[in-house]
Formats: sequence, structure tokens, C-alpha cells
Amino acid sequence: MDVKKPIANPLIVLREEFDDWAILFDPDTGNAFGLNPTGVFIWKLLDGRHNPDDIVNRLREEADNVPEDAGEHARRFIASLEQQGLVGYEIEQGPGAGTGVRG
Amino acid sequence: MTSGPRCHDAAREEPRAAGSSAPALRSLYFYLTQGCNLRCRHCWLAPQFQTAAKQYAALPPDLFRRILGEAKPLGLSGVKLTGGEPLLHPDIGALLEILQDEQLRFSMETNGVLCTPELARDLVRSGMHHVSVSLDGADAQTHEWVRGVEGCFEAALRGVRNLVAAGIRPQIIMSLMRRNAGQVEPLVRLAESLGASSVKFNLVQPTARGEKLRDSGEGLDVGEMIGLGRRIENDLARTAKIRLFYSHPVAFRPLGRIFGENGDCGVCGIRGVLGVLADGSYALCGIGEHVPELVFGQAGRDGLAEVWGGNPVLRQIREGMPRRLEGVCGECLMKGVCFGSCIAQNYYRSRSLWAPFWFCEEAEKAGLFPGSRKAATDARQERNRPMTDCQCAG
Ligand code: SF4
Ligand code: SF4
Repeated sequence: MDVKKPIANPLIVLREEFDDWAILFDPDTGNAFGLNPTGVFIWKLLDGRHNPDDIVNRLREEADNVPEDAGEHARRFIASLEQQGLVGYEIEQGPGAGTGVRG
Repeated sequence: MTSGPRCHDAAREEPRAAGSSAPALRSLYFYLTQGCNLRCRHCWLAPQFQTAAKQYAALPPDLFRRILGEAKPLGLSGVKLTGGEPLLHPDIGALLEILQDEQLRFSMETNGVLCTPELARDLVRSGMHHVSVSLDGADAQTHEWVRGVEGCFEAALRGVRNLVAAGIRPQIIMSLMRRNAGQVEPLVRLAESLGASSVKFNLVQPTARGEKLRDSGEGLDVGEMIGLGRRIENDLARTAKIRLFYSHPVAFRPLGRIFGENGDCGVCGIRGVLGVLADGSYALCGIGEHVPELVFGQAGRDGLAEVWGGNPVLRQIREGMPRRLEGVCGECLMKGVCFGSCIAQNYYRSRSLWAPFWFCEEAEKAGLFPGSRKAATDARQERNRPMTDCQCAG
């Protein structure tokens, strides 16, 4: 089974602000996006070592009142980042298989 | 966790006007009267002072109906009535009937002075969903110093009460200047006691009389405005029973207040809005009263579809905004939602559509523009930091 491990596009800058929100922006295009605190938490785990389930588990460890459907929210969020070219992902195809990176 | 993860993109898909490459014309702002019953010191429109003896032009109801008829196929979903003073229009009843016939919801900006109980009920019955009333002081002396007409404070309070009794809670708008800056909190308490829904604090724009007010030293400087904004948004908002909005540009607003739940997203609506002046001119907005090149045509004579789809200035704005913004606006990470705050104001000052907004330019010069909102030159170094630098503890 493929396990997607998303990786944040290294060209994108994360600027955190005092209220725990952050701006993501691409210095080359000037395109900017606002991230809420949960989005920031997830962004920081998009390091190619965590799949969405790992990320939601980390979120449950760190935050209170994480809703039942958080996994679905997290997947949709990552998909929207991917759509905007902010995230790619690594595919592990089981032990011994090669690793591919898509984005 | 209070809300799911969200990534808010500034550049959203826009609906298109039917059969056209132009965006939908969502809203028309009607500057209904050339005259006004007040003579405010900070007014950016500077209409003629109207009395019983001296009357000025107002948009004829037939033309109003015709414009709405032409605008609906282009995507019109709402209308704003403003002035001069919309309630000074001699046929305001006829305009309200037309809006009701056309089933168009509308908002209104008024000084409140002429808002009788009957008129308030008619406005609500005709589909008014939002109304703002200006109060520039918590007492008659201050308000009337700003507004230039004796007795207008009590009249405005009566207007607000009439609106509340008719079932709509107005927003109070206060324009900030040296003379009234100390009355922010009393004004909030007054608004609460009147039954208002919110208070919005506006910065005086350096246009027309607003420019004179600033030149005379009665305006606040940018540092004072930023400080006042922080006090209002961070301190006063916590104790107020109603919502408070401070109209500084998006770069000065916390992200949570822009994109969060109930946030004021700050997206400039200019791409879907057109102004109609009291003489039937189509213009970028009321600025057309002062800047002839921002008047795009004449209702009745020019088809609205041609004006909206074909006017070269409107096309230039659609093609160049926000990419061509200059100065601090060009560097600003919020330009995709803010569009330089107010093109009309920027053009008025510089005769360029792409000039930066005065407030942010002054803040930048004073070293007060927030660094996190600028695409700084060291961004390339920032992005080359290893990802582990960004990892959360735990
Ligand atoms: S600010 Fe409004 S009420 Fe005052 S003069 Fe201008 S249009 Fe009239
Ligand atoms: S710098 Fe320009 S684009 Fe940015 S917030 Fe200020 S006015 Fe808006």
C-alpha cells in the first residue's frame, strides 16, 4: 500500500505571527496564504517523515478537543496545499522499494 | 482545537458577467444626491450644502430603474445607497419601491438626521439589510464641530433609535481625528446603549475636505492611528458588548481578524463594484466627483454592459491589480486581498492607479510597517532554513 508522506515545498516561507496564525508565501511570485494555528501545526510536520495519520495523532497529543473528523480535515487541507503547489509528497512502496517524490 | 486547518488563498475565482470576460458586476454604489444636509470637515466627497432654499441634483427614479435593469444581467446582487445624503433624495420613497419591485437587497450609509420612524420602517420593508449611521462624537459639541450643523447630534440619535425600533440595528461609524480621538470609549458605550450592532472606526482620507483637515493639523499622524487601532482591537474590543472594526489597511490587522471565523476578510470589492453619481455618471466610485478621468460614461446614453466590459480604465485595473502595485503596496504580502486599499484615493493623490496607499507609505517611512507582511529581500535566506527549524516542540 502507498503511504503518502507530504513534504512542504522548500521554496515557500512560513512567517509566524503573534496570534499563532502565519503567512505562507512564495518569495518568487509574491503569492501569499493565511494559515490558522492548526494549519501551522500541520505545516511544520510536512517534512516527508509523517503521513496524515501520524500528523493527526500528533495533533491529538498536543491539542484538546480535536474533533472526530480531524483526519478528513487534515487530508483536505494537505490536498489544497498540494493543489496550490505548496506541498509535494514522498511515496514509500513498502520495504525495499524505491522512493519517489511527486509535487 | 477550535477550527480545522485552513489555507486562505487571496486570489479567488471570480464569477463572470454573463457573456463577457469582465467579472460580475455584483454591486452598484449610488451616490444619490449632489447636496448634503451636513457640512462635515473631513468629507471626501465635499457635496454642496443643501437647504430648503438651495436644492441640488438627485438621481431621477426612472434612470435608477433603468440602471438596475441593465445591471441585473451583469450579475448585480446588491446595491448601496449613499450620498451626499440618501435620505435627502426628494423621491426616496419611489427609489425604495423600485428596489422592492426588483427584489434587490441594499445597504445604506446615512448621517441619520432625516430618518423618521416611517422612513425607517419603509427602509426595512424594502429590503435594507445593513445601515450605517455616522456619529463623530459622544456629545453634541464634538459631533457638531465635525459635522458643521447645530442640532444634528440629537437628530442623528433619534434616527438611530428609529432604525432600532423598526427592527434593524445600525452600525455606527466614527471618523477619527485629533478632536474626537479621546471619545472612542464613550462613543462605544453610547452605541451600545442605543442598540447599535457594531462600531466602525474610519481613518480620515486625505481627499477633498479630508485633505484640508489633515493639512490643518486636525488629523492624527500615522503612529497615533496605529496606536489607537491596537487599543481598540486588542483592549476595547474585549470589554465591548458589540463588535468593533478599525479600518486600517489589512497589513495592520491580525491574521485571525482577517481570515478567522467571523473575520473581516478585507478583500477589496473594487473588481465587482461600480459607482453611479447623482447626475447619472458611471464612475469608479464617488471620486468621479473630483477626478473626471475616473468617470466612465453616462447612464441612459451609454449601455452599462459596454461601460462595464469595455472601459479602458476598468480593464487596466482588472489586468494590473494587484501585480502592478508600486512602493510598499508592491512589496506587501496582503496585496492580493487588499489591492492597495483604495485605488480612488491612490489615484487622487498621485494620478497613478498603481501608487501605494498613503497610510502604509507613511507607516513604512516611519519604520512602523509590520515586517512580517512584506516580501523582504532576505526572504530567500528565510526559506533556505532547514525544515527542522520550524518544527513544533513535542
Ligand atoms: S461626510 Fe456624509 S454627511 Fe458629511 S458632508 Fe459628506 S456626505 Fe454629507
Ligand atoms: S501596503 Fe498596500 S496592499 Fe498592503 S495593506 Fe497597505 S494598502 Fe494594502
